Amino acid sequence: MNRAFVLVRRRLLGAVPVLAIVVVGTFALLESAPGDAVDAYLGTTGGDRGLVDQLRRDWGLDQGPLQRLGLYLAALARLDLGWSVAFSRPVLDVILERLPNTLLLMGSAVALAFGLGSLLGVVAGSRPGGPADRILSIGSLALYAVPGFWLGLVLIVVFAVQLRWLPSGGIETIASGKQGLARAGDIARHLVLPVAALGILYLALYLRMMRAGMVEVWRQDFARAAFARGLPHRHIVWRHVARNALLPLVTMLGLQAATMLGGSVVIESVFAVPGLGRLAHEAVAQRDTPLLLGIILVGAVLVIAVNLAVDIAYAALDPRVGAGQETSA
Amino acid sequence: MNDVGSIRGGSWSRRALLAGGAAFAGAATWPRSLLAQTPRSGGRLVVAADSEPRNLNPAIVASNGVFFVSSKIVEPLAEAAFETPDGLSPRLALSWKGSPDGLSATFALRPNVTWHDGKPFTSADVAFSAMEVWKKLQNLGRLVFADLEAVDTPDPLTAVFRFSKPTPFQLIRNALPALTAVLPKHLYEGTDINANKANAAPIGTGPFRWGESRPGEYTRLVRNPTYWSPGQPLLDEIIYRVLPDRAAAAGALESGEIQLAAFSMVPLADLGRIAAVPGLAVVTRGYEALTYQLVVEINHRKPELSDPRVRRAISHAIDRDFVVRTVFLGFAATSSGPVPRNDPQFHDATAQVPSFDPARANALLDEAGFRRGANGVRFKLRLLPAPFFNETRQFGSYLRQALAAVGIDAELVNNDTAAHLKAVYTDHAFDLAVGSPVYRGDPAISTTILVQGGLPAGVPFSNQGGFRSAELDAVIAQAATTIDDAQRTALYRDFQRLVVTDLPLINVAEWGFTTVASNKVRNAANNPRWAVSNWADLWLAP
Amino acid sequence: MSAAVRFRASAEGVAGLAILALLGLVALLAPVLHPGDPLDIVGAPLTRPFTVLATPLGTDWLGRDVLAMIVHGARTSLTVGLAAAFVAISIGVAVGTLAGLFGRWVDETLMRVTDAFQTIPGFLLALAFVSTVGPSLATVVFAIALGAWTGPARLVRAEVLSIRERDFVAAARVVGMHPLAIAVREVLPHALPPVVSLAAVIVAGAILTEAALSFLGLGDPNRATWGGLIAEGRSVLRSAPFLSIWPGLALVVTVLGVHLAGEGVVAALALRRSGP
Repeated sequence: MNRAFVLVRRRLLGAVPVLAIVVVGTFALLESAPGDAVDAYLGTTGGDRGLVDQLRRDWGLDQGPLQRLGLYLAALARLDLGWSVAFSRPVLDVILERLPNTLLLMGSAVALAFGLGSLLGVVAGSRPGGPADRILSIGSLALYAVPGFWLGLVLIVVFAVQLRWLPSGGIETIASGKQGLARAGDIARHLVLPVAALGILYLALYLRMMRAGMVEVWRQDFARAAFARGLPHRHIVWRHVARNALLPLVTMLGLQAATMLGGSVVIESVFAVPGLGRLAHEAVAQRDTPLLLGIILVGAVLVIAVNLAVDIAYAALDPRVGAGQETSA
Repeated sequence: MNDVGSIRGGSWSRRALLAGGAAFAGAATWPRSLLAQTPRSGGRLVVAADSEPRNLNPAIVASNGVFFVSSKIVEPLAEAAFETPDGLSPRLALSWKGSPDGLSATFALRPNVTWHDGKPFTSADVAFSAMEVWKKLQNLGRLVFADLEAVDTPDPLTAVFRFSKPTPFQLIRNALPALTAVLPKHLYEGTDINANKANAAPIGTGPFRWGESRPGEYTRLVRNPTYWSPGQPLLDEIIYRVLPDRAAAAGALESGEIQLAAFSMVPLADLGRIAAVPGLAVVTRGYEALTYQLVVEINHRKPELSDPRVRRAISHAIDRDFVVRTVFLGFAATSSGPVPRNDPQFHDATAQVPSFDPARANALLDEAGFRRGANGVRFKLRLLPAPFFNETRQFGSYLRQALAAVGIDAELVNNDTAAHLKAVYTDHAFDLAVGSPVYRGDPAISTTILVQGGLPAGVPFSNQGGFRSAELDAVIAQAATTIDDAQRTALYRDFQRLVVTDLPLINVAEWGFTTVASNKVRNAANNPRWAVSNWADLWLAP
Repeated sequence: MSAAVRFRASAEGVAGLAILALLGLVALLAPVLHPGDPLDIVGAPLTRPFTVLATPLGTDWLGRDVLAMIVHGARTSLTVGLAAAFVAISIGVAVGTLAGLFGRWVDETLMRVTDAFQTIPGFLLALAFVSTVGPSLATVVFAIALGAWTGPARLVRAEVLSIRERDFVAAARVVGMHPLAIAVREVLPHALPPVVSLAAVIVAGAILTEAALSFLGLGDPNRATWGGLIAEGRSVLRSAPFLSIWPGLALVVTVLGVHLAGEGVVAALALRRSGP
């Protein structure tokens, strides 16, 4: 436990400069963008010069960029994420409203991809070169090439529009008044298609990694030894080979956390899921710097947390990894 | 080329509907068949919404995105109407009259109206809204009410607007539906109006009250049981379901998840199919007073474009009929000038923008000294289509091709809203831009500003192309203080002729929107601003 | 076995190479197959596929030739994919080599920056970058590379760290070679092969990212793109599904080709099996 604690502390301390770079970089990017929040706002309303100047004053955009960065960082040090001009509300409120939807979507997609992907990977890798392996290998390679947003469109046409089995978008039936289990079921129904669209690519990835890992392990001495000892095939596959091939997948889970958050931007847009990804898109369009910074910060904290969890899991699974050495993940 | 003479009289959208083809025959007859039944009250109407404006205060933000929701809660003094002499029907004002000297306007207000919080509505609310909100804060009101000096309230039901300079009553009248949403003085007085909580959850006098909002999901309005019009509203609640993606609205309509999608949320290209779906109808009425204009904005600082012959050539290069047919699939009309054809009050049919004639275009460009180079190109320029509509971007693609045909090489630059506004209206970093200004029933509200000279940089949707004509500016200035309706109208006819001759910008087409609705939805599209009116008489058949 | 022989022995590699060769040919010959601007309006809007000879795959809702756009879209996709991968790998190799070679604070700083980029979702970064800078081929390439260089950087750093203690590097150091010369002549040639095997994944990712950006309306408006075509087809998915299906299939085949070829490269370099 002590080792895990050291690891956590190392990671958290290491995260501070990373987050600082993230904040300053994002701020600089939005600062260099043509047009500010006032320009974005005026796109729907228009207004005269006096109104334009007044809005810039009201929204604090008449100050210099460095001054605003200073104010933002000072507020951030007090854990205040600032005020969203596009939503006229505190950034934290806006983000917390959407975060659960994104976590639900990503969590389900990870569960699907990791669970089913590694399971099928075991099936394929249990007899490399066998018929199941060939079908799964080719199938996964094809799935690995399918763009998630396109798959989403196809799924909508088939399952929501033609068959009408599942809703075409949203996170739950609006203003349905459902509570408890009925509501959970409703949300689950809405999640099926977006989770599939987001998760399939990663499913194929985990399947392929698991299979490749198993092929590798089969070659190693202990697997051959187990075989030589005459242990049942099924026993060797699960107890020895799959277990050892699982470790790289756990590493991958951490590496893919950020990528998946990015992928959810498009999927949330295709399925009209009110999540962080869509919010980020809106924040960019509205030039809402504090909001985008908030989202990226929350995303970064999320990614760091996932990686920390992965490291801890890794340390628990593989005794060779100590707190003293850095995992390159 | 622009042979659309038959469209005069303010009904181009009906013709456009017919032009849309036989597929829409059912749609065209639908509104008439509704009148037979007696209205029924109750029910929930679910409507598609493509955005969620945070500030829902129509007195501060006069825009259709805000009106779409807030017009049901907060009411103006008068609403646009199809069949009345001045094109208006009473809301919070019962009658209105301007003085002959143009220095005052008197409104008789509706009695026995209460705010949603139970307080009575009086002339003090109107005076407060006019002086503190419309004149000082509103995007459009700052211009129209600039000379408003005071609002007198001799009694609780009379408001007298006093102007420091003669102000045409015609303009005030035309501005009533969009610019005069009345706010409750008791909730706003003494507060920071821009930051008032009621901007996000408005309190008004309208047929519906604010319910709740789930950001990213929906906004709910509920019936106002104490509405001043007895028996109204008919609906129990209206739900605006957020569908930011235009492709989603059609699917949601078909599966019955929503009953109505306004503002062309169903893309034009999908209308043919959706009109054939049983139980759904496509309606083009109800947007007559919300005409959008497709224009090519020109940066006159570019030497080539400062030559009027080049501007004429560009106008000659554009096949407006083709644009209407292809980009708008027939749901638009070609433009003849800066005032749309469906405004019988001001439109001048004798002013005609140079029409499609590529040979003439080539000849003019040669004459101006811009001969084709070895690669067939005369000169290059940057073309910035506004990102506001599919149609503005698609017209950008068309214009690039049309210009290539006359030897002008245009490079498309796509920006998002903020970058587009900055590039065109502040930095002037464009050669041509495709814009979509709104015509608001009177040229003085937001049309003359598109060509008027000497405006400061950074004013969106204004003349930022560096064009300046003393003659045109004089006409605009004179019309602004001309009280007599006929004289004022005549001046705006001169204005139209000058614009199509000098071409500070090039008008291409004008369009309203389409609504797709379940045919259970009754009394839809019954006024020229229907989508942004109060829907008190809207009802759902069983 | 030489690398070429091993590549040829891998069925995936051969299949992938065949697909890519065909696509490359289409992309190269696009101006011959469909001369003129593919974004020109050439016919009636929304013509169905296989009905009009001039536009065999149908037209979009402006009346542009879908086949011409797909053929020219191959140019865009391949250009962006290869260019973005090249930029990403170049940045990655530079950062990784510097970090690995110089160590200490250089390493520490560069790795923190790498960490920072790895914590931001690459797609979000690309989205923000393109929407603020404005969509053009160059910005799209750079935006994608921004999110893709961290993988190669870490890999190269790890390789450099393992190589720099080896004898031949030490020898070079002893004879007084400049550190940069050591990096370029002695270290990089040994550190590069694993990065090459990563290239396929980066190219495939770049092609998919470009498509997703175009799908969100952030592609270069002067070029035909598959993602843009899918996005356009999306609003008429019911009345004209072919508009989204053709470019989607083109994308799947291309990315599949890249992955297959990547497998071949891995086999050719024999990285895991009999590697150094």
